[in-house]
Amino acid sequence: MTTPTLSGQAAGAAALLRGGPLGLLARKRDQLLVLVVLLAIWQGLSILLGEYWIGTPWGTVRRLVSGIADGELLQHASYTVAEAIIGFLVGGIPAAALPFVLRRLPMVTAIIDPIMVGGYGSPKLALAPLFILWFGIGIESKIALIVFTVFFIVYFSTLAGIRALDPKLVQMAQMSGASESDIARHIIFPGAVPHIFAGLRIAMPYSIGAAVVAELISANRGLGYMIQLRSMNFDTTGIFVALAAVCFIVAVANWIVNIVERHLLLWRPPADVTAQKE
Amino acid sequence: MAALLEVRNLSKRFASRAGREPSPWIIRDLSFSVADGEFLTIVGPSGGGKTTLLNMIAQIDTASGGEIVFQSKSAPLGDKTSLKPGLNCQIGYVTQEDNLLPWRTCLENVLFPLMAQGRLNDETRAHAQSLIRAVGLEGWEKHYPHELSGGMRKRTSLIRTLVYDPPVILMDEPFGAVDAQTRVQLQEDLLRLWNLGRKTIVFVTHDITEAIALADRTLVLTRQPSSVAGEHIITIPRPRDIRDILTHPEFVDLYRRIRAQVQ
Repeated sequence: MTTPTLSGQAAGAAALLRGGPLGLLARKRDQLLVLVVLLAIWQGLSILLGEYWIGTPWGTVRRLVSGIADGELLQHASYTVAEAIIGFLVGGIPAAALPFVLRRLPMVTAIIDPIMVGGYGSPKLALAPLFILWFGIGIESKIALIVFTVFFIVYFSTLAGIRALDPKLVQMAQMSGASESDIARHIIFPGAVPHIFAGLRIAMPYSIGAAVVAELISANRGLGYMIQLRSMNFDTTGIFVALAAVCFIVAVANWIVNIVERHLLLWRPPADVTAQKE
Repeated sequence: MAALLEVRNLSKRFASRAGREPSPWIIRDLSFSVADGEFLTIVGPSGGGKTTLLNMIAQIDTASGGEIVFQSKSAPLGDKTSLKPGLNCQIGYVTQEDNLLPWRTCLENVLFPLMAQGRLNDETRAHAQSLIRAVGLEGWEKHYPHELSGGMRKRTSLIRTLVYDPPVILMDEPFGAVDAQTRVQLQEDLLRLWNLGRKTIVFVTHDITEAIALADRTLVLTRQPSSVAGEHIITIPRPRDIRDILTHPEFVDLYRRIRAQVQ
């Protein structure tokens, strides 16, 4: 009879570790541990293969600090971020709105579906040279590539959100006297918001990635240009600095999406099953 | 009492799809009427087309034959596009699932029909609040559906329909998915609310005890294709005590007779 009690205690302790303040502390500790191990591997490789091929972590930090200090990094990063934000909005907003318009037009949706699937599946990076030919090496070609990348991701996740909605909720609303616009506003839209956010969450790093890639191919500013230039000069440490900046930007953007999402989706049950009340 | 709702020779089978015959008849030549202010319960075997019947009355499904007359007017039943779900808010429908909007709080869900109908004002808000009090949901107004128990969700769904006062309310096994104790409480809540307003209610269930306990009259449906197998006037005096009704001599007799007809 002692075994169930023991396992019960163990389960209780495990739950405490997962959900409680102890769990948070343990998670932070483990995250730090992983970071230290990765840095050690990086340092080891740098010693093994030579600083010429793999810049040291410490050298990267020093260059990062000096890059921030002289404003060079900030200038290039802000250019890339500006491209990403404009492209994300110009691509994301129509992509989130279009399925709502098409909801009442199943014929049109069916007609454009192959085009949308093709657009979604096409290798976006292969289009970058074309956009540069059309829009030049300035900001326009980068934005075009980001718009093209973001649009299809957000379009399909929004469409999935509208299709996943329980038709019984719409029926309930119709019976309660709701008009078509009431239904769109109070049933379809809130029901699709989690899916729209899922799309935005996936599209967000892609928009920054697309900006960097477009700059790699042809630009005179931005983090991608920075990487390209430094690769020509065999400056691996410099490339690491630019990559670190890209990672940092993605992390911050992700954090912002999380905060906005949490505010919009207060009604959702907590994702952690153990914390859910019955 | 004049008939408020009349079902005449109603028939239903699902239409054929490519490469398939139409389904067998689910409902065949079903006729009955409901008087104004009457509490009618309908019992029948599960899978007997009871939900389909309510869907047709509620105007969310078409009929394959027959007629439904509401307030002396024939309701459109021919094709999907001419249906008017809820007949301009004349028919309320409490479905098997609560169908609460997960992004609206308990109170916001209850107020939803009033908002949709443009009838949200101090008076209707106060009415909603009194219904919330009547079913014991005070203190839960600002909670989201996932934070409510099954019974509380049922109550929310029930008063969401009562709040806009439709002349007829359809109920499709609304208390099917809750435990026995909660079920009795919900039945008591419903009877108390019904006593205050005396709406016309058509209540579908497969539970014979529930059918007798709530009703003025009980219809028994046959197996598919559904038609009326029997009709029983329930004369057990009101107000009724649901917990004691099992021992009422009339109940025992009714139960036996209805049980014999439900196959």
